[in-house]
Amino acid sequence: MGPSIIDVFIEYWPIFLKGTIGTLRFAFIAVSLGSILGTLVAFMHLSKNKIIKGIATVYANVLRGTPLLVQMYIAYFFLPIAIPVLNNVDKEVYVLIALIMNSSAYVSEIIRGGINSVDSGQSEAARSLGMSARHTMTKIILPQAIKNILPALANEYIAMIKETSMAGTFMLYELMYTRTILANKYLSWQPLFIIAGIYLLLTLVLTSLVKHLEKRFSVSD
Amino acid sequence: MTEKRLPLIETKDLKKNFNDLEVLKGISETIYKGEVICIIGPSGGGKSTFLRCLNMLEEPTSGEVYFEGEKLDPKSTDIDRHRQKIGMVFQQFNVFPHLSVLDNITLAPTLEKKIPLKDAQEQAYKLLEQVGLSDKANEYPRKLSGGQKQRLAIVRAMAMEPDVMLFDEPTSALDPEMVKGVLEVIRQLADTGMTCVIVTHEMGFAREVADRVIFIDEGVVAEEGTPEELFNNPKNERTKEFLSQVL
Repeated sequence: MGPSIIDVFIEYWPIFLKGTIGTLRFAFIAVSLGSILGTLVAFMHLSKNKIIKGIATVYANVLRGTPLLVQMYIAYFFLPIAIPVLNNVDKEVYVLIALIMNSSAYVSEIIRGGINSVDSGQSEAARSLGMSARHTMTKIILPQAIKNILPALANEYIAMIKETSMAGTFMLYELMYTRTILANKYLSWQPLFIIAGIYLLLTLVLTSLVKHLEKRFSVSD
Repeated sequence: MTEKRLPLIETKDLKKNFNDLEVLKGISETIYKGEVICIIGPSGGGKSTFLRCLNMLEEPTSGEVYFEGEKLDPKSTDIDRHRQKIGMVFQQFNVFPHLSVLDNITLAPTLEKKIPLKDAQEQAYKLLEQVGLSDKANEYPRKLSGGQKQRLAIVRAMAMEPDVMLFDEPTSALDPEMVKGVLEVIRQLADTGMTCVIVTHEMGFAREVADRVIFIDEGVVAEEGTPEELFNNPKNERTKEFLSQVL
Protein backbone atom coordinates (compact mmCIF):
# COMPACT_ATOMS: atom_id res chain seq x y z
CA MET A 1 0.00 0.00 0.00
CA GLY A 2 2.70 2.52 0.90
CA PRO A 3 2.11 5.74 2.90
CA SER A 4 -1.43 6.97 3.57
CA ILE A 5 -3.13 9.80 1.66
CA ILE A 6 -2.79 12.09 4.66
CA ASP A 7 0.93 11.38 4.99
CA VAL A 8 1.46 12.14 1.32
CA PHE A 9 -0.49 15.38 1.56
CA ILE A 10 1.43 16.56 4.64
CA GLU A 11 4.76 15.83 3.00
CA TYR A 12 4.06 17.16 -0.48
CA TRP A 13 1.44 19.90 0.01
CA PRO A 14 3.61 22.62 -1.61
CA ILE A 15 3.56 20.56 -4.82
CA PHE A 16 -0.24 20.31 -4.72
CA LEU A 17 -0.53 24.02 -3.95
CA LYS A 18 1.66 24.89 -6.91
CA GLY A 19 -0.44 22.57 -9.08
CA THR A 20 -3.68 24.15 -7.87
CA ILE A 21 -2.40 27.63 -8.63
CA GLY A 22 -1.34 26.41 -12.08
CA THR A 23 -4.80 24.98 -12.71
CA LEU A 24 -6.60 28.16 -11.62
CA ARG A 25 -4.21 30.24 -13.70
CA PHE A 26 -4.71 28.19 -16.87
CA ALA A 27 -8.47 28.25 -16.45
CA PHE A 28 -8.47 31.99 -15.80
CA ILE A 29 -6.33 32.81 -18.83
CA ALA A 30 -8.36 30.47 -21.04
CA VAL A 31 -11.74 31.87 -20.01
CA SER A 32 -10.80 35.55 -19.90
CA LEU A 33 -9.00 35.60 -23.26
CA GLY A 34 -11.56 33.09 -24.54
CA SER A 35 -14.30 35.55 -23.55
CA ILE A 36 -12.80 38.33 -25.63
CA LEU A 37 -12.38 36.04 -28.64
CA GLY A 38 -15.77 34.46 -27.95
CA THR A 39 -17.51 37.85 -27.92
CA LEU A 40 -16.07 38.55 -31.36
CA VAL A 41 -17.26 35.14 -32.61
CA ALA A 42 -20.72 35.72 -31.10
CA PHE A 43 -21.12 39.02 -32.95
CA MET A 44 -19.86 37.41 -36.15
CA HIS A 45 -22.52 34.76 -35.62
CA LEU A 46 -25.24 37.41 -35.21
CA SER A 47 -24.06 39.22 -38.35
CA LYS A 48 -26.37 39.46 -41.35
CA ASN A 49 -23.41 38.84 -43.65
CA LYS A 50 -23.64 35.15 -44.59
CA ILE A 51 -19.89 34.63 -45.05
CA ILE A 52 -19.01 36.12 -41.64
CA LYS A 53 -21.82 34.16 -40.03
CA GLY A 54 -20.61 30.99 -41.79
CA ILE A 55 -17.04 31.39 -40.54
CA ALA A 56 -18.29 31.80 -36.96
CA THR A 57 -20.57 28.77 -37.24
CA VAL A 58 -17.83 26.52 -38.61
CA TYR A 59 -15.35 27.78 -35.99
CA ALA A 60 -17.70 27.07 -33.07
CA ASN A 61 -18.85 23.72 -34.47
CA VAL A 62 -15.32 22.41 -35.09
CA LEU A 63 -14.06 23.44 -31.66
CA ARG A 64 -17.09 22.10 -29.83
CA GLY A 65 -17.32 18.97 -31.95
CA THR A 66 -13.76 17.69 -31.51
CA PRO A 67 -12.02 16.63 -28.27
CA LEU A 68 -9.99 19.26 -26.49
CA LEU A 69 -7.11 16.80 -26.18
CA VAL A 70 -6.93 16.45 -29.97
CA GLN A 71 -6.99 20.25 -30.30
CA MET A 72 -4.13 20.48 -27.80
CA TYR A 73 -2.04 17.96 -29.74
CA ILE A 74 -2.66 19.81 -32.98
CA ALA A 75 -1.69 23.10 -31.34
CA TYR A 76 1.38 21.52 -29.74
CA PHE A 77 2.79 19.80 -32.83
CA PHE A 78 1.33 21.69 -35.76
CA LEU A 79 1.46 25.34 -34.67
CA PRO A 80 5.28 25.50 -34.47
CA ILE A 81 5.45 24.05 -38.01
CA ALA A 82 2.70 26.26 -39.42
CA ILE A 83 3.87 29.47 -37.76
CA PRO A 84 7.68 29.31 -37.38
CA VAL A 85 7.74 32.49 -35.27
CA LEU A 86 6.14 30.44 -32.50
CA ASN A 87 9.18 28.15 -32.42
CA ASN A 88 10.89 30.23 -29.77
CA VAL A 89 7.99 30.70 -27.38
CA ASP A 90 7.32 28.60 -24.31
CA LYS A 91 5.52 25.32 -25.01
CA GLU A 92 2.90 26.51 -22.56
CA VAL A 93 1.71 29.00 -25.19
CA TYR A 94 0.62 26.24 -27.63
CA VAL A 95 -1.51 24.53 -25.04
CA LEU A 96 -2.94 27.87 -23.91
CA ILE A 97 -3.88 28.74 -27.49
CA ALA A 98 -5.84 25.49 -27.71
CA LEU A 99 -7.53 26.19 -24.37
CA ILE A 100 -8.39 29.78 -25.32
CA MET A 101 -9.81 28.81 -28.70
CA ASN A 102 -11.80 25.97 -27.18
CA SER A 103 -13.17 28.22 -24.48
CA SER A 104 -14.03 30.96 -27.00
CA ALA A 105 -16.28 28.55 -28.88
CA TYR A 106 -18.31 27.82 -25.75
CA VAL A 107 -18.29 31.47 -24.65
CA SER A 108 -19.57 32.58 -28.06
CA GLU A 109 -22.59 30.32 -27.57
CA ILE A 110 -23.13 31.71 -24.06
CA ILE A 111 -23.07 35.30 -25.30
CA ARG A 112 -25.25 34.53 -28.31
CA GLY A 113 -27.73 32.78 -26.02
CA GLY A 114 -27.68 35.71 -23.59
CA ILE A 115 -28.39 38.21 -26.36
CA ASN A 116 -31.13 36.07 -27.86
CA SER A 117 -32.74 35.66 -24.44
CA VAL A 118 -33.64 39.37 -24.41
CA ASP A 119 -37.20 39.78 -25.68
CA SER A 120 -37.28 40.98 -29.30
CA GLY A 121 -39.78 43.64 -28.20
CA GLN A 122 -36.91 45.43 -26.45
CA SER A 123 -34.95 45.92 -29.63
CA GLU A 124 -38.13 46.82 -31.56
CA ALA A 125 -38.97 49.48 -29.00
CA ALA A 126 -35.47 50.94 -29.17
CA ARG A 127 -35.37 50.94 -32.97
CA SER A 128 -38.87 52.45 -33.16
CA LEU A 129 -37.58 55.37 -31.06
CA GLY A 130 -34.99 55.93 -33.77
CA MET A 131 -32.09 54.49 -31.79
CA SER A 132 -29.20 53.23 -33.92
CA ALA A 133 -28.42 49.52 -34.11
CA ARG A 134 -25.24 50.13 -32.09
CA HIS A 135 -26.96 52.05 -29.31
CA THR A 136 -29.75 49.47 -29.22
CA MET A 137 -27.13 46.78 -28.61
CA THR A 138 -25.01 48.68 -26.07
CA LYS A 139 -27.73 50.50 -24.12
CA ILE A 140 -30.69 48.11 -24.28
CA ILE A 141 -29.76 44.53 -25.22
CA LEU A 142 -26.35 43.95 -23.58
CA PRO A 143 -27.23 45.42 -20.15
CA GLN A 144 -30.13 42.97 -19.99
CA ALA A 145 -28.23 40.04 -21.52
CA ILE A 146 -25.36 40.37 -19.05
CA LYS A 147 -27.57 38.98 -16.27
CA ASN A 148 -27.75 35.66 -18.11
CA ILE A 149 -24.23 35.80 -19.47
CA LEU A 150 -22.24 36.31 -16.23
CA PRO A 151 -23.40 33.22 -14.31
CA ALA A 152 -22.95 31.09 -17.46
CA LEU A 153 -19.44 32.46 -17.88
CA ALA A 154 -18.67 31.54 -14.28
CA ASN A 155 -19.91 28.02 -15.00
CA GLU A 156 -17.65 27.92 -18.05
CA TYR A 157 -14.73 28.81 -15.75
CA ILE A 158 -15.66 25.92 -13.47
CA ALA A 159 -15.85 23.54 -16.42
CA MET A 160 -12.51 24.86 -17.67
CA ILE A 161 -10.87 24.05 -14.32
CA LYS A 162 -11.54 20.41 -15.06
CA GLU A 163 -10.58 20.68 -18.74
CA THR A 164 -7.15 22.10 -17.93
CA SER A 165 -6.23 18.72 -16.39
CA MET A 166 -5.28 17.73 -19.94
CA ALA A 167 -2.50 20.31 -19.98
CA GLY A 168 -0.59 17.95 -17.64
CA THR A 169 -0.20 15.64 -20.63
CA PHE A 170 2.19 18.24 -22.05
CA MET A 171 4.24 18.53 -18.86
CA LEU A 172 2.71 21.83 -17.87
CA TYR A 173 2.59 22.42 -14.14
CA GLU A 174 -1.02 22.14 -13.10
CA LEU A 175 -2.87 19.91 -10.67
CA MET A 176 -2.86 16.76 -12.79
CA TYR A 177 0.86 17.14 -13.45
CA THR A 178 1.55 16.61 -9.73
CA ARG A 179 0.61 12.97 -10.38
CA THR A 180 3.52 12.64 -12.81
CA ILE A 181 5.93 14.23 -10.31
CA LEU A 182 4.87 11.97 -7.44
CA ALA A 183 4.70 8.82 -9.57
CA ASN A 184 8.46 9.22 -9.84
CA LYS A 185 8.57 8.84 -6.08
CA TYR A 186 6.66 5.54 -6.32
CA LEU A 187 3.39 7.07 -5.13
CA SER A 188 0.86 5.63 -7.58
CA TRP A 189 -2.60 6.04 -6.05
CA GLN A 190 -2.46 8.49 -3.11
CA PRO A 191 -1.93 11.65 -5.24
CA LEU A 192 -4.95 10.76 -7.39
CA PHE A 193 -7.34 11.00 -4.44
CA ILE A 194 -5.78 14.25 -3.29
CA ILE A 195 -6.03 15.66 -6.82
CA ALA A 196 -9.66 14.56 -7.13
CA GLY A 197 -10.40 16.07 -3.70
CA ILE A 198 -8.89 19.41 -4.66
CA TYR A 199 -10.81 19.52 -8.00
CA LEU A 200 -14.02 18.72 -6.14
CA LEU A 201 -13.37 21.38 -3.51
CA LEU A 202 -12.63 24.00 -6.19
CA THR A 203 -15.76 23.25 -8.23
CA LEU A 204 -18.04 23.02 -5.18
CA VAL A 205 -16.85 26.32 -3.73
CA LEU A 206 -17.06 28.10 -7.07
CA THR A 207 -20.48 26.60 -7.86
CA SER A 208 -21.91 27.90 -4.60
CA LEU A 209 -20.39 31.32 -5.36
CA VAL A 210 -22.13 31.31 -8.75
CA LYS A 211 -25.44 30.36 -7.12
CA HIS A 212 -25.05 33.32 -4.80
CA LEU A 213 -24.26 35.55 -7.78
CA GLU A 214 -27.34 34.32 -9.68
CA LYS A 215 -29.55 35.08 -6.71
CA ARG A 216 -28.24 38.61 -6.46
CA PHE A 217 -28.81 39.19 -10.16
CA SER A 218 -32.36 37.88 -10.05
CA VAL A 219 -33.25 40.39 -7.33
CA SER A 220 -33.22 43.16 -9.93
CA ASP A 221 -35.96 41.47 -11.98
CA MET B 1 -61.89 69.87 -43.21
CA THR B 2 -61.28 73.25 -44.83
CA GLU B 3 -57.49 73.39 -44.60
CA LYS B 4 -55.36 71.75 -47.26
CA ARG B 5 -54.72 68.14 -46.37
CA LEU B 6 -51.04 67.27 -46.20
CA PRO B 7 -50.10 63.64 -46.77
CA LEU B 8 -47.88 62.41 -43.94
CA ILE B 9 -47.57 58.73 -44.75
CA GLU B 10 -48.33 57.10 -48.05
CA THR B 11 -48.18 53.40 -48.85
CA LYS B 12 -48.13 52.14 -52.41
CA ASP B 13 -49.25 48.59 -53.15
CA LEU B 14 -47.73 47.36 -49.88
CA LYS B 15 -47.25 43.59 -49.81
CA LYS B 16 -45.78 41.39 -47.09
CA ASN B 17 -45.21 37.66 -47.08
CA PHE B 18 -44.08 35.52 -44.17
CA ASN B 19 -42.58 32.54 -45.98
CA ASP B 20 -45.51 31.24 -48.04
CA LEU B 21 -48.13 33.20 -46.14
CA GLU B 22 -49.36 36.33 -47.87
CA VAL B 23 -50.26 38.66 -45.00
CA LEU B 24 -50.60 41.94 -46.90
CA LYS B 25 -51.86 41.68 -50.45
CA GLY B 26 -51.33 45.22 -51.67
CA ILE B 27 -52.43 48.17 -49.54
CA SER B 28 -52.33 51.73 -50.86
CA GLU B 29 -53.33 54.27 -48.25
CA THR B 30 -52.64 57.89 -47.48
CA ILE B 31 -52.57 59.16 -43.92
CA TYR B 32 -52.95 62.93 -43.62
CA LYS B 33 -51.47 65.26 -41.05
CA GLY B 34 -53.68 65.57 -37.99
CA GLU B 35 -55.81 62.59 -38.86
CA VAL B 36 -56.83 60.03 -36.26
CA ILE B 37 -57.19 56.65 -37.92
CA CYS B 38 -58.39 53.47 -36.29
CA ILE B 39 -57.63 50.18 -37.96
CA ILE B 40 -60.01 47.37 -37.12
CA GLY B 41 -60.47 43.84 -38.36
CA PRO B 42 -60.22 40.17 -37.40
CA SER B 43 -57.05 38.72 -35.87
CA GLY B 44 -54.53 37.57 -38.45
CA GLY B 45 -56.03 39.88 -41.06
CA GLY B 46 -52.85 41.97 -41.37
CA LYS B 47 -53.66 45.07 -39.25
CA SER B 48 -50.54 44.91 -37.08
CA THR B 49 -48.30 43.94 -39.98
CA PHE B 50 -49.55 46.96 -41.92
CA LEU B 51 -48.83 49.22 -38.95
CA ARG B 52 -45.36 47.72 -38.44
CA CYS B 53 -44.54 48.33 -42.11
CA LEU B 54 -45.19 52.06 -41.62
CA ASN B 55 -41.94 52.44 -39.64
CA MET B 56 -40.18 49.51 -41.33
CA LEU B 57 -40.09 47.31 -38.22
CA GLU B 58 -41.46 44.89 -40.79
CA GLU B 59 -39.71 45.09 -44.13
CA PRO B 60 -42.29 44.98 -46.94
CA THR B 61 -41.88 42.22 -49.50
CA SER B 62 -42.83 44.73 -52.20
CA GLY B 63 -44.38 48.16 -52.45
CA GLU B 64 -43.30 51.42 -50.89
CA VAL B 65 -43.86 53.59 -47.85
CA TYR B 66 -43.33 57.34 -48.07
CA PHE B 67 -42.99 59.40 -44.91
CA GLU B 68 -43.12 63.18 -45.26
CA GLY B 69 -42.42 62.71 -48.97
CA GLU B 70 -39.34 60.51 -48.52
CA LYS B 71 -39.21 56.84 -49.35
CA LEU B 72 -38.39 54.69 -46.33
CA ASP B 73 -35.53 52.25 -46.77
CA PRO B 74 -34.91 49.86 -43.83
CA LYS B 75 -31.31 49.31 -44.95
CA SER B 76 -30.38 52.98 -45.04
CA THR B 77 -29.12 54.77 -41.95
CA ASP B 78 -31.74 57.46 -42.67
CA ILE B 79 -34.28 55.05 -41.24
CA ASP B 80 -33.22 56.00 -37.68
CA ARG B 81 -33.82 59.68 -38.43
CA HIS B 82 -37.28 58.91 -39.84
CA ARG B 83 -38.22 56.63 -36.95
CA GLN B 84 -37.45 59.46 -34.53
CA LYS B 85 -40.45 61.19 -36.09
CA ILE B 86 -42.68 58.09 -35.98
CA GLY B 87 -43.57 57.14 -32.41
CA MET B 88 -44.76 53.62 -31.72
CA VAL B 89 -46.59 52.01 -28.81
CA PHE B 90 -46.72 48.23 -28.52
CA GLN B 91 -49.24 45.76 -27.15
CA GLN B 92 -46.65 44.37 -24.72
CA PHE B 93 -45.47 47.88 -23.64
CA ASN B 94 -41.78 46.99 -24.16
CA VAL B 95 -40.58 49.45 -21.54
CA PHE B 96 -36.89 49.03 -20.68
CA PRO B 97 -36.81 47.04 -17.40
CA HIS B 98 -33.19 47.91 -16.56
CA LEU B 99 -33.82 51.66 -16.64
CA SER B 100 -35.75 53.88 -14.26
CA VAL B 101 -38.97 55.48 -15.47
CA LEU B 102 -37.12 58.75 -16.02
CA ASP B 103 -34.23 57.08 -17.90
CA ASN B 104 -36.71 55.18 -20.08
CA ILE B 105 -37.90 58.55 -21.34
CA THR B 106 -34.63 60.47 -21.57
CA LEU B 107 -32.41 57.76 -23.12
CA ALA B 108 -33.36 58.16 -26.79
CA PRO B 109 -33.60 61.99 -26.83
CA THR B 110 -30.19 62.40 -25.16
CA LEU B 111 -28.50 59.70 -27.26
CA GLU B 112 -29.97 60.30 -30.66
CA LYS B 113 -31.03 63.95 -30.63
CA LYS B 114 -28.17 65.12 -28.38
CA ILE B 115 -30.56 66.96 -26.10
CA PRO B 116 -28.80 67.95 -22.83
CA LEU B 117 -29.78 65.60 -20.01
CA LYS B 118 -31.18 68.43 -17.89
CA ASP B 119 -33.55 69.57 -20.65
CA ALA B 120 -34.58 65.99 -21.41
CA GLN B 121 -35.37 65.36 -17.74
CA GLU B 122 -37.36 68.56 -17.48
CA GLN B 123 -39.41 67.52 -20.48
CA ALA B 124 -39.80 63.99 -19.07
CA TYR B 125 -41.22 65.35 -15.80
CA LYS B 126 -43.74 67.43 -17.75
CA LEU B 127 -44.82 64.40 -19.75
CA LEU B 128 -45.05 62.21 -16.65
CA GLU B 129 -47.24 64.80 -15.02
CA GLN B 130 -49.61 64.76 -17.99
CA VAL B 131 -50.17 61.03 -17.56
CA GLY B 132 -50.23 61.02 -13.76
CA LEU B 133 -46.90 59.27 -13.20
CA SER B 134 -44.89 62.12 -11.62
CA ASP B 135 -44.38 60.22 -8.39
CA LYS B 136 -42.94 57.20 -10.28
CA ALA B 137 -40.05 59.01 -11.98
CA ASN B 138 -37.35 57.18 -10.03
CA GLU B 139 -39.06 53.80 -9.83
CA TYR B 140 -38.18 50.86 -12.03
CA PRO B 141 -40.82 49.51 -14.42
CA ARG B 142 -41.29 46.31 -12.38
CA LYS B 143 -43.04 48.45 -9.77
CA LEU B 144 -45.62 49.69 -12.31
CA SER B 145 -49.00 48.20 -13.22
CA GLY B 146 -49.72 47.31 -16.84
CA GLY B 147 -51.63 50.52 -17.37
CA GLN B 148 -48.81 52.58 -15.89
CA LYS B 149 -46.26 50.77 -18.08
CA GLN B 150 -48.29 51.57 -21.17
CA ARG B 151 -48.62 55.23 -20.19
CA LEU B 152 -44.84 55.28 -19.69
CA ALA B 153 -44.39 53.73 -23.15
CA ILE B 154 -46.59 56.46 -24.64
CA VAL B 155 -44.64 59.34 -23.06
CA ARG B 156 -41.35 57.64 -23.93
CA ALA B 157 -42.40 57.85 -27.58
CA MET B 158 -43.73 61.41 -27.13
CA ALA B 159 -40.38 62.57 -25.74
CA MET B 160 -38.93 62.23 -29.26
CA GLU B 161 -41.53 64.79 -30.40
CA PRO B 162 -42.78 62.65 -33.27
CA ASP B 163 -45.03 63.80 -36.10
CA VAL B 164 -47.18 60.68 -35.91
CA MET B 165 -47.93 58.03 -33.30
CA LEU B 166 -48.58 54.40 -34.16
CA PHE B 167 -50.46 52.28 -31.62
CA ASP B 168 -50.40 48.50 -31.99
CA GLU B 169 -53.34 47.18 -29.92
CA PRO B 170 -52.29 49.37 -26.98
CA THR B 171 -54.90 48.01 -24.57
CA SER B 172 -55.07 44.33 -25.59
CA ALA B 173 -52.64 43.14 -22.91
CA LEU B 174 -54.20 45.19 -20.11
CA ASP B 175 -56.50 44.15 -17.29
CA PRO B 176 -59.99 45.56 -17.97
CA GLU B 177 -59.77 48.17 -15.21
CA MET B 178 -56.58 49.61 -16.76
CA VAL B 179 -57.99 50.11 -20.25
CA LYS B 180 -59.85 53.33 -19.60
CA GLY B 181 -56.85 55.26 -18.29
CA VAL B 182 -54.71 54.36 -21.29
CA LEU B 183 -57.46 55.18 -23.79
CA GLU B 184 -57.92 58.52 -22.03
CA VAL B 185 -54.24 59.34 -22.59
CA ILE B 186 -54.50 58.44 -26.29
CA ARG B 187 -57.67 60.51 -26.61
CA GLN B 188 -55.94 63.54 -25.07
CA LEU B 189 -53.08 63.07 -27.50
CA ALA B 190 -55.49 62.91 -30.44
CA ASP B 191 -57.20 66.07 -29.19
CA THR B 192 -53.92 67.99 -29.37
CA GLY B 193 -53.88 67.39 -33.12
CA MET B 194 -51.31 64.59 -33.11
CA THR B 195 -51.63 62.29 -36.11
CA CYS B 196 -52.52 58.87 -34.73
CA VAL B 197 -52.82 55.45 -36.34
CA ILE B 198 -54.39 53.04 -33.89
CA VAL B 199 -54.87 49.30 -34.35
CA THR B 200 -57.58 48.44 -31.85
CA HIS B 201 -60.30 46.06 -30.80
CA GLU B 202 -62.04 48.78 -28.76
CA MET B 203 -64.91 49.57 -31.11
CA GLY B 204 -66.51 52.16 -28.82
CA PHE B 205 -63.22 54.02 -28.63
CA ALA B 206 -62.70 53.82 -32.40
CA ARG B 207 -66.17 55.21 -33.05
CA GLU B 208 -65.58 58.09 -30.68
CA VAL B 209 -62.03 59.14 -31.48
CA ALA B 210 -61.44 58.27 -35.15
CA ASP B 211 -61.73 60.60 -38.11
CA ARG B 212 -61.52 57.58 -40.35
CA VAL B 213 -61.85 53.85 -39.72
CA ILE B 214 -60.08 51.32 -41.90
CA PHE B 215 -61.29 47.72 -41.92
CA ILE B 216 -58.47 45.33 -42.89
CA ASP B 217 -59.32 41.72 -43.61
CA GLU B 218 -57.32 38.99 -45.38
CA GLY B 219 -54.51 41.40 -46.22
CA VAL B 220 -56.57 44.07 -47.97
CA VAL B 221 -58.50 47.18 -47.01
CA ALA B 222 -61.98 45.74 -47.30
CA GLU B 223 -63.74 48.95 -46.39
CA GLU B 224 -63.03 52.40 -44.95
CA GLY B 225 -64.89 55.53 -44.05
CA THR B 226 -65.97 57.78 -41.21
CA PRO B 227 -67.00 55.96 -38.04
CA GLU B 228 -70.64 56.72 -38.83
CA GLU B 229 -70.39 55.23 -42.31
CA LEU B 230 -68.52 52.16 -41.21
CA PHE B 231 -70.27 51.30 -37.98
CA ASN B 232 -73.82 52.41 -38.84
CA ASN B 233 -73.88 51.65 -42.50
CA PRO B 234 -71.30 49.02 -43.49
CA LYS B 235 -71.45 48.11 -47.17
CA ASN B 236 -69.06 45.20 -47.36
CA GLU B 237 -70.39 41.76 -46.34
CA ARG B 238 -67.23 40.95 -44.39
CA THR B 239 -67.43 44.24 -42.49
CA LYS B 240 -71.04 43.48 -41.57
CA GLU B 241 -70.12 40.01 -40.43
CA PHE B 242 -67.14 41.24 -38.38
CA LEU B 243 -69.14 44.02 -36.73
CA SER B 244 -72.02 41.69 -35.91
CA GLN B 245 -69.53 39.52 -34.01
CA VAL B 246 -67.79 42.24 -32.03
CA LEU B 247 -70.55 44.77 -31.32
